Amino acid sequence: MYNDIIVDNFSAPNYVGDLETADHEIEIGNPVCGDRIKVQLLISDSQISKAVFRAWGCATSLATANVFCRSIEGQSITTISKRCTQEISSMLGELEPSQRHCLDILSELHSKLVSQLDIGVA
Amino acid sequence: MELTNTLMRAGLDPIKVALSSTKQLFAMPEAQLLGFKTSLIFEAFTFHYNNNAFYRSACDEKRITPESLRSPADLIKLPLIPIHLFKANDNHKLLSKSLKSVELEMRSTGTSGIPSVSRRCSETVDNAILGIYAMYREFFEISKGAGLYLCPSNEEIPEMGMIKALNLMAGLLDTHKFMVRSDNFVPEDALNQLSVWENNFDRHIIGPPFLINRFIRFLKATNKRIKLDKNTLIITLGGWKRFSGEMLSRAEFNSECMEYLGVEKHQIRDIYALVESNVVAIDDKHGIKHVSPYIHFSVRDPQNLDKEVALNEVGQLAILDPSARSTPGFILTEDLVRLLPKTDNDHRSGQRVEYVMRLPESTEFGCCAVNLDKQLDETEELHSSACPVVA
Repeated sequence: MYNDIIVDNFSAPNYVGDLETADHEIEIGNPVCGDRIKVQLLISDSQISKAVFRAWGCATSLATANVFCRSIEGQSITTISKRCTQEISSMLGELEPSQRHCLDILSELHSKLVSQLDIGVA
Repeated sequence: MELTNTLMRAGLDPIKVALSSTKQLFAMPEAQLLGFKTSLIFEAFTFHYNNNAFYRSACDEKRITPESLRSPADLIKLPLIPIHLFKANDNHKLLSKSLKSVELEMRSTGTSGIPSVSRRCSETVDNAILGIYAMYREFFEISKGAGLYLCPSNEEIPEMGMIKALNLMAGLLDTHKFMVRSDNFVPEDALNQLSVWENNFDRHIIGPPFLINRFIRFLKATNKRIKLDKNTLIITLGGWKRFSGEMLSRAEFNSECMEYLGVEKHQIRDIYALVESNVVAIDDKHGIKHVSPYIHFSVRDPQNLDKEVALNEVGQLAILDPSARSTPGFILTEDLVRLLPKTDNDHRSGQRVEYVMRLPESTEFGCCAVNLDKQLDETEELHSSACPVVA
């Protein structure tokens, strides 16, 4: 049911945490099912130096938050903003239909990050 | 212990035998039933002790090992998982098996909006389904009829535990309809559906109490009374506290069902269940809730959780569920209940329970039902403030 990306990121969520003072925060959620992800960021020289998250919901959405944080930490904001839909989709591996809403979550995290940091996709 | 060993020697899984022998377990002498379920619980404890690092560390802290558990008196020693840990964002540590073996995620979302997520492996799903169906058959004896579901379908909210549990019953019926669609409940449609089924099927009404109450409020407001069938059941599952905090009175609910739906008191049945456990406690025809016979309820003193309260006294419910394999089924709930004594006209062994209320210091209340209640209120409010359409 769960691919290795989801199993690994759910079972060992290395990016779980809180920052006392974050430069930016992204929060997304679905009020009906209760899936909620909060990401905190430290940014220096247009680069994300630290990304941590707290997430509540299904295993795939928790894993998605960890995948997202791992993928943006150490990256420049410009590089992240250039990710295409296909690249974002491939980050979670093959998903079952009941897990595919997490692709929307991952896309939303990207678009919120980009819009919050006011960088248009090139 | 002896029965468990005999079953295992015969190549049978004792828990599967228990799940499919509800009637026989309810007919066992009390001491034998307690002994049997204790051995099932100890076997499940050993499994989680050996396979769950988080649970094992709680056991080590309390110096509890499988060898230290010998008799039903030792059940109180089992470390319990506080139910709020199912909401924690590191709830992966509750798993006794790899996520790869998890087949089904179910959730319940109370007033905080944070979902409590329970994960079931194939073995646990097998156990839950067998157990729930056996209890439905034992108490409802339903195998036909029409179900008016006053709740949304699983298609609309696929992971909600309450809906999933109620939807299982639909497989026993000839037909059913979900009357809450896109956060909308139109009581006129529900009434119309009942009239379509009249004289063709025994008509059952199934849903959370507040939604059935909402239907009754409509009947009351429009001064309509209906007469359902002699085999009708009004089956409720979900909280008795509305999103607004208002408590629905069970006595008042019963009396309104009798007046406006034309049923007798013995036709109104409530189910106590929670998404984190496979237990169902169901009202018999006298309105007494019986606990699944292979599951043990231990009612604790909220001021001293290592101590059980006496029969009839209110305390905090701990559930010892041997049918849970993916996560330990030893859960400390935030529900206040009392265990009831067996009465003379009650032929069943096992435990009887009365739900009292959510623990006052609990940070939230409700399950999926409470959010549904809120959404319906919001939808109604939106419609009531809409501009009138002028022809």
